[in-house]
Parts: sequence; structure tokens; C-alpha cells
Amino acid sequence: MVVPAANPSDETLAARAAAGDDHAFEQLVTRYEARVFRLACRLTSETDAPDVLQETFLQCYRHLPAFRHESRFGTWLYRIATNAALMHRRARGRRPSEPLDQFLPRFDEQGMHVGTPDELQLAAHADELLDQQLLAERARSMLALLPEIYRDPFVLRDLEEMTTAEVAETLGIEPATVRQRVHRARLMLRGCLSDLVGVKP
Amino acid sequence: MTDVSCASGVALLMDYLEGVLPDDVRTALEAHVSGCPRCVAFVASYQETPRLLRAATDTALPTEVQQSLRSFLRSQGR
Repeated sequence: MVVPAANPSDETLAARAAAGDDHAFEQLVTRYEARVFRLACRLTSETDAPDVLQETFLQCYRHLPAFRHESRFGTWLYRIATNAALMHRRARGRRPSEPLDQFLPRFDEQGMHVGTPDELQLAAHADELLDQQLLAERARSMLALLPEIYRDPFVLRDLEEMTTAEVAETLGIEPATVRQRVHRARLMLRGCLSDLVGVKP
Repeated sequence: MTDVSCASGVALLMDYLEGVLPDDVRTALEAHVSGCPRCVAFVASYQETPRLLRAATDTALPTEVQQSLRSFLRSQGR
């Protein structure tokens, strides 16, 4: 007799769920629902995230029998969730975005930073200088304004902490492109934070 | 490339942090930043940006969203 492990791995649960064990599927939902919801909020909005969440687990349930264990379950589920979020956004149509170029760092003719060291480092302390609620609201609107080609790799790489290789695979772009876009997103968002705490980027 | 300015250095930051810069470029960048208080300050805020945004967008799953997910999945026959 096989004694079930107290805390079975995702892959064990996925195999059981694929074989029709609904309790195993529920355990996977419980394990991942909060993370999928947070990802969906970051890629869409809090209004759209509940739909993305439902779609993700529906697709997960349908495709579990085809899950080949070539990647970890979490990676596979994140890919489903990302696709569901991008599809959802596409269905919603184009939304206004801004290049946010005015938040890029400023240099003089010699290529030297215009800001002083004190001004340049201030963005790093945005969480100490601002009300948390305000920072949360602004952070959401910054992400929403960021053009999607920067937003998506930034969310996956820097907010969800996937590796550059995983982001590249998930979004179907080259790792070098992921790095370029994440870099640009960081520069723009750093500038937004700087602006929020009252100094020019 | 032996001369790195603040501007050209900033353009290399992501590749530097990901460890994909050629050795000579990495050395030139490190030499510039270590002698440039503006770049030290800039790099600090550049590196903190992901953490700040991550913390500020850490949305909790509302109970009612969790409940509608459960009823939705049941309605879909699982």
C-alpha cells in the first residue's frame, strides 16, 4: 500500500488530476490561485483579473492530460495564465499607453547625469517617502500606461521573478530582446518613481 | 571600448547585472561607476525599482473572487 505524501509535489498532484482526481486538482487551485490572480492583475487590471483567473484554471484543467512534465508545473501554469491575460487584453482592444520617455534618465552633452547623486538615488526610497496606498495606486497606473512590449517582459521578469530564458520562451522573443525591454521598462518606471518623490528623473 | 560615460554605462546596466557583458566592457563599466557618485546613486535606484514595484503591486486574492472561481470551476463540470 502506498501512503500518500502529506505534501505531494505539484507534479504528483498534476498527474493525479490528469487521471481524474478532482481533489488533486483542487489542491493545485488552492496552491496557485493567489499567484495567478496577482499575475493577472499585473498584466491586465483588478477588474479583468477574475476572468483571467477563471480562464487560466479552466485551460489548466482541460490541458492537464497533455502536460508532459517537460517543465515544472508552475512554469507551465504561468504560461497558460500569461496567454490568458494577453488574450483577454487583446479582446478588450487597444488601451491608451504612453512611451513614458519623459521619465528616461537625463544626460548633458558629455553624457554625464544631469541629476545630483542625492536626486538620483531618491527613487530608491519611494516606499519610505510615500504613503503605501498612494504608491500602490500609482504603481498600478504606471504599469497600465507602460506600452505592452515593455510591460509584459517587465512583469514576468521583475515582478514575477521568472528567469530571462523563461520570459523569452513564454513571450516568444529572444533573451536579448527581453533584456532590452526590461531595461527600458526599469528606466521608465524608475523615472516615474523619481517623479513621484518630487525629483526629475 | 575603454571609455564609459554615465549615458553609455546606463545603457549597459541590464546586461551587466545579467552577467552577459564581455569582460573588457564589464571592467570599463565597473571602473566608471566606482569613480562616479552619480552612477552609484543611479544604479541603486535602478536596482531598487523592481522590488518597489513588486511590493506595490502585490494584490491579495479577494475572498469573493476565490469563491466565484470555485463555483465557476464546478459549473464547468469539475
